[in-house]
Parts: sequence; structure tokens; C-alpha cells
Amino acid sequence: MTRYVMAIDLRRCVGCQTCTAACKNANATPPGVQWRRVLDLETGEFPDVRRSFVPVACMHCDEPPCEEVCPTKATTKRPDGLVAIDYDTCIGCANCVMACPYEARSIVHDVKFAYGDKPIKSEEVRFDPARIAVSMKCTFCIDRIDLAAKTGQVPGRDPDVTPACVNSCISGAMAFGDLDDPDSKVSRLLAETQHFRMHEELGTGPGVYYIWDKK
Amino acid sequence: MSSTTNPQSVRKVPTYCYNCVAGPDFMNVKVVDGVATEIEPNFAAEDIHPARGRVCVKAYGLVQKTYNPHRVLQPMKRTNPKKGRKEDPGFVPISWDEALDLVSAKLTSVRAKGLVDDSGLPRVAATFGHGGTPGMYMGSLPAFLAAWGPIDYSFGSGQGVKCVHSEHLYGEFWHRGFTVAADTPLARYVISIGSNVEASGGPCAVTRHADARVRGYKRVQVEPHLSVTGACSAEWVPIRPKTDPAFMFALIHVLVCEQGLDKLDVAFLRDRSSSPYLVGPDGLYLRDAESGKPLLWDERSGRAVPFDTEGAVPAVAGHFRVEGAISIDADDARQQFDVAEGITAYTKLVEHMAKYTPEWAESICDVPAATIRRIANEYLENASIGETIEIDGQTLPLRPVAVTLGKSVNNGWGAFECCWARTLLATLVGALENPGGTLGTTVRLNRPHDNRLLSVKAGEDGFMAQYFNPTDKEHWVAKPTGRNIHRTLVPIVGNTAWSQALGPTQLAWMFQREVPSDWNMPLPTLPDVWFIYRTNPAISFWDTRTLVEEIAKFPFTVSFAYTLDETNWMADLLLPEATDLESLQMIKVGGTKFVEQFWEHRGVVLRQPAVEAQGDTRDFTWISTQLAKRTGLLEAYNNALNRGAGGGAPLKADGYDYSLDASKEHGVEEIWDAVCRASSASLSEGREVHDLEWFKEHGFYTVPMSKTEWYLSPTLEKQGLRYEMPYQERLLRIGRELGNRLHEHKMHWWDEQLSEYAALPEWHDVPGRWTQQIANAGGKPEDFPLWLLATKSMQYHTGGNASIALMREVAQNVRGHTGVIINAKTAKSLGISDGDRIEVRSHIGATYGDAVLAQGVRPDTLVILGQFDHWATPVAKDFGMPSLNTIAPMSMELTDATGSGSDIVRVAVRKVERKEAV
Amino acid sequence: MKAAKIRSGDRFSPHQQHNWDWRAASNFIAGGTGGGLLAFAAFASLWGTDVRALLVAGMALIGIGLTCVWFEIGKPWRALNVYRHLATSWMTREAAVAPFVFGSGVLALATGQSLFVLLTGIFGACFVYAQARILAADKGIPAWRHPRCMPLVAATGFAEGASLLAVAAPFVIPQVAGQIAVATAALVLLLLRVLLWRNYLRSLRSDGAPEGSLRALSAIDGQFLKYGNLLPAILLLVGVIGAPLASPALILAGLIAVASGWWFKYTLVRRAAYTQGFAIPHLPVRGRGPAGPAVKPGWGGA
Repeated sequence: MTRYVMAIDLRRCVGCQTCTAACKNANATPPGVQWRRVLDLETGEFPDVRRSFVPVACMHCDEPPCEEVCPTKATTKRPDGLVAIDYDTCIGCANCVMACPYEARSIVHDVKFAYGDKPIKSEEVRFDPARIAVSMKCTFCIDRIDLAAKTGQVPGRDPDVTPACVNSCISGAMAFGDLDDPDSKVSRLLAETQHFRMHEELGTGPGVYYIWDKK
Repeated sequence: MSSTTNPQSVRKVPTYCYNCVAGPDFMNVKVVDGVATEIEPNFAAEDIHPARGRVCVKAYGLVQKTYNPHRVLQPMKRTNPKKGRKEDPGFVPISWDEALDLVSAKLTSVRAKGLVDDSGLPRVAATFGHGGTPGMYMGSLPAFLAAWGPIDYSFGSGQGVKCVHSEHLYGEFWHRGFTVAADTPLARYVISIGSNVEASGGPCAVTRHADARVRGYKRVQVEPHLSVTGACSAEWVPIRPKTDPAFMFALIHVLVCEQGLDKLDVAFLRDRSSSPYLVGPDGLYLRDAESGKPLLWDERSGRAVPFDTEGAVPAVAGHFRVEGAISIDADDARQQFDVAEGITAYTKLVEHMAKYTPEWAESICDVPAATIRRIANEYLENASIGETIEIDGQTLPLRPVAVTLGKSVNNGWGAFECCWARTLLATLVGALENPGGTLGTTVRLNRPHDNRLLSVKAGEDGFMAQYFNPTDKEHWVAKPTGRNIHRTLVPIVGNTAWSQALGPTQLAWMFQREVPSDWNMPLPTLPDVWFIYRTNPAISFWDTRTLVEEIAKFPFTVSFAYTLDETNWMADLLLPEATDLESLQMIKVGGTKFVEQFWEHRGVVLRQPAVEAQGDTRDFTWISTQLAKRTGLLEAYNNALNRGAGGGAPLKADGYDYSLDASKEHGVEEIWDAVCRASSASLSEGREVHDLEWFKEHGFYTVPMSKTEWYLSPTLEKQGLRYEMPYQERLLRIGRELGNRLHEHKMHWWDEQLSEYAALPEWHDVPGRWTQQIANAGGKPEDFPLWLLATKSMQYHTGGNASIALMREVAQNVRGHTGVIINAKTAKSLGISDGDRIEVRSHIGATYGDAVLAQGVRPDTLVILGQFDHWATPVAKDFGMPSLNTIAPMSMELTDATGSGSDIVRVAVRKVERKEAV
Repeated sequence: MKAAKIRSGDRFSPHQQHNWDWRAASNFIAGGTGGGLLAFAAFASLWGTDVRALLVAGMALIGIGLTCVWFEIGKPWRALNVYRHLATSWMTREAAVAPFVFGSGVLALATGQSLFVLLTGIFGACFVYAQARILAADKGIPAWRHPRCMPLVAATGFAEGASLLAVAAPFVIPQVAGQIAVATAALVLLLLRVLLWRNYLRSLRSDGAPEGSLRALSAIDGQFLKYGNLLPAILLLVGVIGAPLASPALILAGLIAVASGWWFKYTLVRRAAYTQGFAIPHLPVRGRGPAGPAVKPGWGGA
């Protein structure tokens, strides 16, 4: 079996939003929609303060609550671990938005572009009306994963079939790959570090692991 | 996936991003049916680029930069002769022919009048933006500028106050470090004082520090607010602003007065520093009467001998009786000592630092003495003195500790002390320019720029040769040759290609308005023609409301323009260039470059048109060639290109000749094809020659380089040279000489700055200078109880990208990009809640923004990210963001001896109604 | 995702959901009451009450609710896709119940057959239950997914249904005993609603929830108890003991109880609907030193 997951090393992340921007580039998301972003989290009181950076996106859960509540089966859990949305089926009811404890999903009802009502060239060639008024979220760059099946490349190892955010990360905080493959980069990384998953107590089985210390 | 049509063609075009000085970095542009859609890393460079072929967040805005609907897409000329913020410039489109005719007519008339004016100042001035990066986008313009002759680069756009200015000057002086970094891949302990390297260090620094964190190095961030770098550090020390010298003096105190010489790197101090040099009763080196060479105490023979005496074993510490020595003061004034007490420079240091205890520093810095002492001791412990490492077959000392300094620590008053202390802290433990330690990265005042090791030449007194501006009576430049007077006022900045831009650039602006009463030099004039490119001083310098009025007085301003902005609002001519993704250029990469670009390769990389130039924008090389042709400088321009002025390598050298026919006009591709061939031939020593087509496909070409080239100390060792540390006899002397020259000309307006020339720096009330300046300007210091600092943002830092919508969107995820960071408790005491509109007022004006409440900032400090407060730049003018620049004064009192100022101002803050906030 | 003004904490603390507005809330408000009313109408029909008007009202309420939702969803012309996920989606199930409600309801009205009346009541009850489960399945909203939320939402639906029956009682149930029975039933359901409400709020506080949810719910607590439940309960008691003005008391009590139920549901679906936010069990080690403590910004109680 294959279970694609992401491992994010919080020790490395500097909150620069390169992944946020790379994702917006790669997925042509409209202004205000960020399929992934990095939280800038300050805790404590002066002078005993910490500031941490936590990238968040769709967790591609084992038991996706979005999939459970979706009335249309637009949201599906694939055998390789990806949670996908069929834009042509989705009715934009937002039930999945309410079900997701990771604020990963959004619905845009109006057509908007970076500089107002008119698209610039790069937006024009990539504008996809199918994504208006339906639920959308991080796909783990699903097209690239699917390409891997055709080319024999390995997601997480070969950039062409690895999510854009992972490719872009300048601090090397992100790794992607098959958790069921003990030799994959993520498996090895997770074996040698301490990590947690977000809101694990909710039983969603998120597919994103956050590394916080060595073992 | 997001394309709704089936693309006919998808290409990935290799190129580079060098929008900030921390570059260049490699990237690919994805082009779908001729339209750039995405920026991606260039993984072909993964093994040679320190950031593994990745670019930072700014680069991802380049697609929008290309298609930004607010771009200037054809040449424009001003129709409203009146210039001012309230005057609509009335730009109208014109043809390139008309535009080039206009500018070349102007230039030709200037040439006819003479290249310099009656005041001896160049009639043509140019201002380019951040850290030399515009050069990476201006094609062959440098060849035109070289062909032209004298050009005044005096008018800064933040140079000296937004960079790490003192580090540039003193860093090159002490260890050929124009910028200075930790040897992060080997470092175990880094004291980072205000250095926001995780925001401004680019992908290379971020990659290196992330690796170091995972490896387990400890970085202590000493800074008034919890920056991104502080966030990623093991410890945050919230120091009181501008008290860093006191903190560092106390660290030195712990090392030399509490731990003592035995714990330090005695061999390094003895052999690589001037620690053993004997200082006489007049504070100058005791010198050999005959040769004039500094003396040291030879423990073997038990007497004072010239520093370079073969076989001598120098005493590092002690007081010694010396007979028959002399000292040499300013203007070669010699004093003879029959008998004198010679104290080693090291012992002078120890005695000097005795008073600077951690307890003394505690009250100044608001940092507990125990913390300072612990940090000093951790630093010493981690230095692992005695340890070695083998790099490329060479055994070198391993000293994995470093001290790094950031903007505002590193410029303005107090910066000299900090640079000295930083270099000294490295020297004491042998970590200066050794593996793991504190390293310079590149040189700009010295040459050659791409290999700083080659800049090391033996100079006087056993030190490296320095190329100061003369201060002796015969050679001192009494009549300034540029409007910021760098050659006259700042000996250490020298007079090479970069020197002028590193002069006291705010003086150029200040003196346009008013010169000091005892000014006895020709009065500064305005340049006849001013070129600006990738710069917006009306936003990025200080006292910007007044600055705009100065800019409006410039008679003929030519802006190579991207959008209309606050500076080119006053321009007469806008010439739109084909920008990042649309034009052709080759630059050098690799070696060691600014910030943390430490490579194990060197080579060249091509920037190429990934897409067609938008509108009627033109490749900069075409514009440059046209300017050269129309001003009759074609031959000189081509010759400059042949010398290598366009970047890459000279077009002709031993073993190859791709030089251009100097008499002919050459096309853009032809010029860069020659550069491609020459560069590859030069790098491979003739083994490989690649043309433009090859580079268009492959993007870059590099050859390996040994990592040992990162470290300067082995070169000094090879040449038997010493670092000029700890005692600054030379600076003391030239400071006195400079004083003599100015006083001979009855000028005393630079006297306060002359106080900075000291052999061993003393603490002076650095923060007090800011309150004093308010009082002197007629204000009440108590009305401005808080500090306002500016800090950098990776998303915006020098990107010229304020009008990129994507950047605005993603930057909002990072704290501070929505307004003014204020301590939550302070805010509460002032009745300010998160998101409230607030006024931040200094004694010269006010700026407005939304309050961003935080715990990670000192209660006495406010912080503004980046520089905004735009009123003309599209998109940015609607941000409602504040800027320190609007309310920071340009002041002689706040200018240090290098001519720089610090990015900090005293302010008051209050909540205002939203409508007031304009 | 509306581009509202961003404050520092908004990026990681729970924030009020913006996707379901008054239209979605209306479905829970009207649909729940309608379903509850159908159930109690069916119940009342067992005693021979003419419930036709009540059936019409119940179906109308459900219809209004569903219409509101139809206006809210992004792709209304694909609305029928809602029926594709009966296996797990309570939204599908809610939608699936609706035709049965209307089918049996229309048959009941047309034929007068008590079987259809009863079926309509049962389907109405199912509709209420399905709605409660929709909210319970939304893990992203801690105030909804709390195990004590679902019974409360169901209870208020039935309490509102019983209360509407109380409003109708003076018109459709001539016998005093019948009116007293209705008043008693409504009283019991109000009591149940109050108990579940207090229980829910207490548990939410003790288990921890987004501060915004606690704030919004606490803000209505006092008035909801006093005016939303106690006052109608007293009025219903007046009805139960058969005092003079019993009929007006029943009508007034019913209207107040329904209104307060709607007020609660609007609060729950809109104002108290805060997202989960983000929590970090271990702040990362930065080079050297200890990891930071667990943080869960924007959460209160517990």
C-alpha cells in the first residue's frame, strides 16, 4: 500500500511564506485563498516569549471528517492517502468546511483577480471556472502525484512529482513521501525524530507530521 | 491542473533572482503558451547552490511583476514643468526615438559644458538601489557609465542607514569582510546582535541556519524585539535599543578580565593580531627609531624588537621598559623616548576593559549581569580552543563560535564600537576568519570583488595594505569630488568603484538644503542629469517628506521605470526596461558573496527572456547601446564591454578572444553571446566554450572551488600578516590628521565625528544622542518616551515589490505586516487595542498604522516592518502602512564618523480615529 | 473566506465561521421547528385532533429552511447531488428524509389517513434528528461536535414543535384536558431543553472550547433561561392548572419558547460557531534547549 504524507520540521521553519507563495503560483488560487499558509504563533509573556512558525494545510486525514459529511461524494479519500475533491460534483454546501478542524477548505463565490476584476495574463490562461462556488483545498499537488504513476518517478524524491510547497521550502523543513515505504525520506525522518500530528485527539488521523525535536 | 485549456507548449526557463543582496539564487520560470505562470526552484543547481537551487518568497512575485497592469509600458515624458507631491507630472507616452533623443541631447550638452561643474562636482549623477543588485538587472549599462566618465553616486536611497554600513567599512579594514557572517555550517554558538538573518539572509542563510539548528547549534538573539531570527533562536535577550556596545564590552570584560589570557587563543593573539605591539605613554606604538616599525617584546632575547624580527617570541601581555624608541603621530610628528614604558596592546585592552563589568552593563542594557556573564562564558567554552579540522587536506583551527551584527547595531553611533568588539571577540578566541568562526564574505571597497583572498597584500606595520583616502596635508582632497564628500571626510571608505555609494549619503541630501556655517568648500550643486534605477529614495531614505522636496528640485531626472513611484513622480523622463523575466544578462555566481553566500563553486548564470517584453519595454542592453551611440560614446562603450564591464569575464584574455568590434553597434544577443563564450572559456581555462544558446538551455556554468577559500586567516598566515586588533593606533592617527586638515580649513562641523577615532573605544551614552538631538532641535525629549525601530521583511526586503499583490497577501501572514508592533502591556496602558489605528509621532512628524499587539517586544520599543507610507506607487499607496522613514530626521548630530546613521527614532504614540490616519 | 480585517491572533486562534450565514441558520431554525411540530402534530392526531393545519405549517417551515439553504449553496443547480452519500453524510440523510416528509404529508392531507399523518410525524422527527447529527458531525466547530450539543439541538427542535402545538392548541384542541396535556408535554420538553442546555454549557466550559464560543453562549445563558424557558414554563403552568386566561397563556408561552429556541439556534450556528483553531503540543526546539510547552491559543474553559 501507499500512504502519502508530509513531514514538517518545525525546528527549521522560519515562517517565510515561500511555500504559501509557491502554492499560490502552482495552483493559481484566487486572492485571499491560501491552500496552505504558515502560522506565526507567539506564546508567553514578555520577556519569556516564544514565536513559532507552523505551516498548515489540508492534512489528508486517514478518517477525513470532510469526506464523511460530504453529501455529494465530491470529496473522496484515495487509496494512496490523498483527499480529493471533484469540482464538478461539489455543490458548495460548505458542510466539509465546517467539518474540517484544520481550516483547510474554502469556497469562493465571486470571481476575483490579483489586480481587480480583470485577470492578468498569467491568471487568464489558468482561470478555472469549475473552482468557483465549490469547496477547494490543498490537493498535495495531485496532478504531480498522478504523473508519478505514469512516469515511474517517486513523489518526495523527484521534484516533478513532489508538491510545490515541498519543492520551494528554503529551510528544508518539508518532506513528502510514502509512509508505508520504510526507506522513503519521510519514513526515515520520522523514525529519527519526535513528532506530533495536529489535533490528534479528534481521531482524524492527519497525514501531516510535525517534527519538534530529535529522538 | 488549473489550466482550463490544453496548453500547446510548456517550457521551463532557467534564470536567476538577485532582487536582494543575499542572492543570486537560481530558479526556473514555467511558461505556458508563451505566458509565465509559475516560478520554481532550479533543481539542476541543487548540488552547486548553497540553497539547493531554491529562491525565496519574493521571487514568486515575479510573474505578477511581469504582468502587473500598473507597469509603465512605454517611454513617457513629463508635461507639467512644476514638480512636487501635489503636482500631477502629466506624463505622456512618447516613442523610444523621441525619448532617447531627449536624453542624449541633454547628455551631449552636458559633455559640451564639461563633465564636472564649477564646484568640481560631476554634472551627471546616478542612484541605484540596494547593495549593487540593480547592476544584476541593468544589462550593459555599467559599460555606458564607464564610458561616460565621472558620475556622482552620492545621493543615497538608504545607503548608510539601511545597510550594515560600519560593518562594510570596518569589516573590510579589519578582515576583508564587506559583510560578516558566522561560519554557520560549523558554528556551535552564535551571538546574533540584531542580525535578522532569517528574514534578510536569503535562501542560503536560511538553509544553513536550519541545518545548524537541527545539528544543535545555539544561537542567542540579542535584540529589542523578537524578530523572525529571534523566534528561530535558542534564546532571546531583549536588550535596550542602541546599548549593544555596552553589552559587548561586558562580554569582552568577562573574557579578558575574568577568564584571562590563559583561557584565550594565545597563539592566535601572539601571531595573528597586534596584541604584542608595545604602546607607549602617548598612546601610540613604540617604534624602532631607525625603521619606524612597531616594537614588540621578545621573550627570547628579553628586549623590544621590531615586530618582524626573525625568531622573536612576542610577549602578549605585560609592561616592559623600552629604550630609544620613537612614536609617530599624525602628520608624521615623531617623538623620541629615551626610556619609556611599553605596554602590550593586549594589556592595554585588559586595563581598558576593567571598568566594563557585566554589572556595569546591566543598568545600561537592561540585561541581567548573570545573563551577560553566562553568554560570555558559553561563548568561550564553545570556542573549543585547540581543536582543529581538516578541510580539503588542510588542517585548520576549528573555532565554532561567532558574533554577528545587524542593521541599526551596525550603523550610526555605537556601530564602530560594536564592529570593533565583534572582531575582537573573534580574535580573542582565534575564531576570526577560521573554520566555525566569524568570517567576512566578500570585498567591495577592495579588489578583486570575486576573491577576497587575493585582496590581501602586505602593508605597513605588519598589517594588510589599506587604501584609505589620504589625510596628509599634500594629498587630502580639500575640494570634494562628489556631493557626499566621501573622499574628504571618510578616509576608511577609500576611493574605488563602490566607495562613493558608501560615503555619507545623507549628507548629500542635507547639504543641498543647508551647509554648516563654517563650510569652507565649494557649495554643493545639483546635478544637471540624474539617473535613477530600482530605487525609491522618496520612500527608502529618511525625513522623506523633506527629501521629496529636494528631489523635486533636480532639473532633469531620468528614471528607468517599472511603475510610477514617489521618486519618479518628479522625473522628466520614464524609460521602461524589460524587467526580470524579459531580458538578457549574465552575472557571476559562487565563490563567497554577500551575507551567507558561501559556495563550493564559482561560475556564471544567465538571466534570459522567459517571455516577450511587455508593451514597448526594452532590454537594458539595447537602451545602453543606444545611449552610447547617440552620445558618441560607442567606441568607449564597446571597449568597456571588452574589458568585462558587462559582467562575466573580459571578452579577451590569454587563450581566448571574443572581443567586440569597438567601432560597431552590436545587438543584445551578440553582446551576451560574447560574454557567455568568454566567461565559460575563462572559468574552464579554455577547456570549454559555451555560447548563448547553450546557456539558454543550461542556465549556468560553474567550476569547483575549495572551501578553504572561505577563510582568510590561512592567507594572512602565509603572508606573515596580522589583524589590526585590538589596538587602533592607525585609526587614531588618521583621525587626528583629518582633524588637522579640517581645522586648517577652519571647519569644525565634523568635530564630534572625529571623536570616534579612538585606539580603544570608550562607552559613550549612545542612546542619549537621540534624546539630545530632540532637545537641540527645540523639542522636549520627555514627549517622545518610546523607541521606534525598523526591521526587515523577507517578503519585501529590497524587492521593489510593493505593488505586487501576491506579496501583500502572503506577507500578511507574518506578524507586523499589518501595522506597528507594540508591546501589549504598553498598548493597554495607552488604551490601545489590537488593530486600533495609531499615530506614531517623532519631533519631525507623524506616521500612521494599525496597532499590532505583541509580547515579543520591549515595553519601551515599537517596531515597523519594511518601509511603506507610499502615496504614488500603485497598490502600495492603499496599504495604510506606516514607515519609520517618514519621521526619522536626517541630522548631523546623529551621523557617525563613517557617515552613517542608525534606523531608529524617539517617538510618542496615541490612538487616533481612523479618518485622522492619512 | 472573506478578506476581513486581520488581527494578529486571527491567524491561529479560533475564529467565527463565515461560510454558513443566516440562510444556513434558517434551515436549522425553521426546519427543526417544523420537524418537531410534525412529530407533535402526529402525536396529537392520535387523540383525534385535526392536525391538517399543523402539517401544513410544519412542512412549510421545513420547506422554508431548505429553500434558504438552496440559496446559500454555491451550485444550486446541482442540488440533487446532495443525495449521493447516504452511507455517512447526515446532510444527505436530512435531504433524503425531506421527500418522505413532504410525500407522506401531502398524502396525509389528501387522504386524511392517520397512517400518513403518523408517518409524517416520524419523518419530521427524523428530520430534526438528522439536523442535530449534521452539526455533531462537523468536527471543525468544537461547540457543535461536543457530545452534549446533539441532544440539545434535537431537544430544542421538539420543544419548539411542542410549543407551536401549544400555540395552536386553543384553536385545534377544544378539550381542556387536551390543552393541559399539550401544555404538560411542552413543559416537560422545555424542562428537558433547559437541563440539556445547562448540561451542555457546563460541559463545554469544563471540557474546554474556543473562547468565542463560550462567550457567545454565555452571553445568552441568563436571558435564555429566564425569558426563553422560565417565563414560558410559568405560562404553561398557568395552562396546566387550567386557570383563567389559560388559552392566551398557552399561545404566549408557545411563541416565546419557539422564539427562544430560534434565538439559541441562531447563536449556535452563527455567533458561537468558532473554528477549532490550532494547537501545538510541543513548541519546537530551536537549536539547543528545551522544547516549549503545549499551546492552544484562543481556547477557554477546561
